[in-house]
Amino acid sequence: MEAEVLIIGGGVTGTGIARDLSLRGLNVVLVEKKDLNAGASGGNHGLLHSGARYVHSDPEAARECQKEQKILKKNASHCIEETKGFFVGVKGDDWNYIQDFSQMCKKSGIESKAIDLKDAMEMEPSLSKDLVAAYEVNDASINPFKLSIENINDAVSSGSSYLTHTKIESFKIENRQIVYAVVRNTISGESIKIRAKTYVNAGGAWAKNIAAMAGIPINMVFSKGSLLVTNKRITQRVINRLRLPTDGDILVPGGVVSILGTTSERSKNLDNIHPTINEVDHIIEQGIQMIPALKESRFIRAYAGVRPLVSLGNDKDDRNLSRGFTLIDHAESEHENEQIDNFITITGGKLSTYRLMAEKTSDIVCQKHHLTAECKTKTTPLPSTIDGEWSEPGVFVNDSLSLESSDESYLCECEMVPAKAIDTIINSIKKNGGHPDLEAIAVRTRVGKGPCQGTFCSVRLLSYLYNKGNITDTDGLNDLKGFLNERWKGEHSLLWDQTLVQSSLKEMIHCGLFSLELT
Amino acid sequence: MKDKQHINCDILIIGAGFAGMAAAARASQLGLKTIMAGNSSQLYFASGLFDLLGVYPLVPGTILKTVETGLSLLKEQIPGHPYAKAGIEEILQSFDFITHFLQTAGLSYAPSNGKNTSVLTSAGTFKPSFLVPETIKKCTLLKQSKNLLIMDFKGLKGFNAKQMAAMIKNRHDTVDTLRIELFQHSYVLSPMHLAAMFENLSFLEKIAKQILPVADKIDLMGIPAVCGIDNSFEILSKLEKLTGVKMFEIPMMPPSIPGLRLKNAFEKQLAKNKVQFLSQAKIKSREFNNDGFILNAVNQSMEAKIKARGVILASGRFQGGGLHAQRDQIVETIFNLPVYQPEKRNLWHHINFFEKQGHMINSAGIETDNVFRPVDKNNSIIHKNLYAAGAILAHNDWTRLKSGSGVSALSAYTAVNNFHTTNIKTGD
Repeated sequence: MEAEVLIIGGGVTGTGIARDLSLRGLNVVLVEKKDLNAGASGGNHGLLHSGARYVHSDPEAARECQKEQKILKKNASHCIEETKGFFVGVKGDDWNYIQDFSQMCKKSGIESKAIDLKDAMEMEPSLSKDLVAAYEVNDASINPFKLSIENINDAVSSGSSYLTHTKIESFKIENRQIVYAVVRNTISGESIKIRAKTYVNAGGAWAKNIAAMAGIPINMVFSKGSLLVTNKRITQRVINRLRLPTDGDILVPGGVVSILGTTSERSKNLDNIHPTINEVDHIIEQGIQMIPALKESRFIRAYAGVRPLVSLGNDKDDRNLSRGFTLIDHAESEHENEQIDNFITITGGKLSTYRLMAEKTSDIVCQKHHLTAECKTKTTPLPSTIDGEWSEPGVFVNDSLSLESSDESYLCECEMVPAKAIDTIINSIKKNGGHPDLEAIAVRTRVGKGPCQGTFCSVRLLSYLYNKGNITDTDGLNDLKGFLNERWKGEHSLLWDQTLVQSSLKEMIHCGLFSLELT
Repeated sequence: MKDKQHINCDILIIGAGFAGMAAAARASQLGLKTIMAGNSSQLYFASGLFDLLGVYPLVPGTILKTVETGLSLLKEQIPGHPYAKAGIEEILQSFDFITHFLQTAGLSYAPSNGKNTSVLTSAGTFKPSFLVPETIKKCTLLKQSKNLLIMDFKGLKGFNAKQMAAMIKNRHDTVDTLRIELFQHSYVLSPMHLAAMFENLSFLEKIAKQILPVADKIDLMGIPAVCGIDNSFEILSKLEKLTGVKMFEIPMMPPSIPGLRLKNAFEKQLAKNKVQFLSQAKIKSREFNNDGFILNAVNQSMEAKIKARGVILASGRFQGGGLHAQRDQIVETIFNLPVYQPEKRNLWHHINFFEKQGHMINSAGIETDNVFRPVDKNNSIIHKNLYAAGAILAHNDWTRLKSGSGVSALSAYTAVNNFHTTNIKTGD
């Protein structure tokens, strides 16, 4: 296989670069070892920062956020809900920070507006009665899954392609050049060579491992953050705690749910990370101080992401490490034996500035290709496709996918995903050489993400896949078990009250009756 | 305005799942004035299979052909398990009682040969169960059948013949599938709707017509467990006659029709036995002294003040609402009884859903004496006439051990018998 550029990593950065370069006329292949947004791009708040959170710790990152959120609201509006955000202080919070906030915002060019406490309570009735300060900022919620799907779809429509479940095995390096990369499909086990002119490492937290395959050390630390999803939307706006950034201080609405987070815990492990029960309890206890209703809320899912932070020394608190991104042109390495002319690493950063990261990376790629094409993502709107539609929480059927025309109506009743939508998703997975199993469909839709957490829809979806001939052997059982276990990782720290009742039902059906634990 | 009632009874059964129904059946048959309060729709989640002990030990996950060996090991290793309070004879006796009770209501269970049956499920897996409805029984013929047919219905979600065929095709010469399309246009069939259709003879004939062309080639046929609501065995036999093919039902995910049949049969026979059923009633308050219990039960239409000499707590686990898990502890919801439980939430669940040893939370529940009376920390009974039965009992991971019905039957039967012996027989 050949391409002008090989991008490694299918998160928002990788897919963003794929689109950026495709729009500049380059032919791109993107490989992803799991599936779209399998890393931090899928394990975050879905918050498009106004920048106000970083005014104290990192004014430069704050400024970047503020510029980028404006661009994205204009060009990717279908992935964004312009919710606005509050920064709220409650009794006992550091009064100095509260007093300086507005001035710090001004310094970084970030709009903030003091809100009268009574008005704030009316605008967001679930705020604590202990409110002592409230500011409004331009935060918004953004759907990172939709963003990646739309970015990669746009790249594909310009002739680029992507391969999921495709892992980098090795690089062939000669005379400061990567000659080709060997990649292996993790499902079929098949290996192929991909030859490109330039190689972009957009592996996020895994960038270190990828660079290491090219013999290049990158000093990175990993910070795990956990988040909780409520079963309904609690506030209209993003609610931030008006204090130095710490745990459990942001609540972001995402469609019909709210997401509470987060934590920052040094992690050595990159795979198989999940929120712990102590983290969950800690986040809730912190969140309750802003929003007392969280005490009684039903949480349906918890998940964790790993922030890749590039370390410059011994840092005590990972929150002090720059959330700014790191872009390395390996042609310019300090050490001669680490110099590779056609290899670039981009990592760190944050969802809100993914486009800027993609632009800067693409600029270097273009230099290497002696191409003068300008970045178009700043001005060209991101097209909306039907594939992206079903990743949106709580989206109802539109005309082209109406209930009457569908084969077996809703396969996922919690999140109202009809069979017809699944057909669209299956086709698009197949088109890109992927394997349409439950997990691949779950990444691209809301299937299994509602209150039943896959108890019923997994069974319906599996029998649908068999009926359509997408599965013909006994693999479906492993697929079902894998899917349920993946959902379980998200539930297992939240199992009390109604969520526990739901999980007992799941165990009754899948173990009690189907006896899947015995297979 | 809600109807206000004062009711006196010998025994109040809280809960209308399998354990509650079994207790009410036994109590009414012994001539006790019986009230049952609860939500019988829980039985929509019941498979209709009566498990005794399907798997033990959990690691490595030994599927038991006969229950005896597993049972004695279980009693030795988990002395708090409800089965440790009785012998196999008592368990079998309680099952006998229930199957006879259901038989009178027209629901037949196949007699047991003392061994577990491997029941084919709609996932294409096999589940060990002890007693199965007559309509499912012929799945035991699978082993000796060469040519198999599995039928499904377009529009019946979560049940696909091709899926089951893919799972079991290596065991047979041929496994074919037949999909019945009832209408030209798109439609959805609920199991309830389809089961009601099966009660209609012309519907059976219509289906038979589609089976007949391949009937010669097959030894055995599996169909979704929707073969009628009442008289299911008769209906299945009729379809067998029309086609000349032996058939068995395949249980699927809830709402479960075999569970519904169970609910209907129990309710029908309990009504005949003059059990007063306070449907959907919740216990709002309760007090007790040496003489007995006074409880307030409320549902949408009435408020009842119930005076009972004895109470059977068959309110289930989390799903049934008998236990409630708060973020930091598990509590019993009606009497605030002490609950045996893992020390903290960190220990409740394993990170792997399918972990072989099961999740520790499923051992949580009420500890009792040998006749299923709840005890406190000092092992003293809470009240001489307060009993617990079914899923609420501690040390009883019934989904993994495949032992739900057996534990319910044994505990309900034993509890009611004991109440009867100690309160009525001795003459007062």
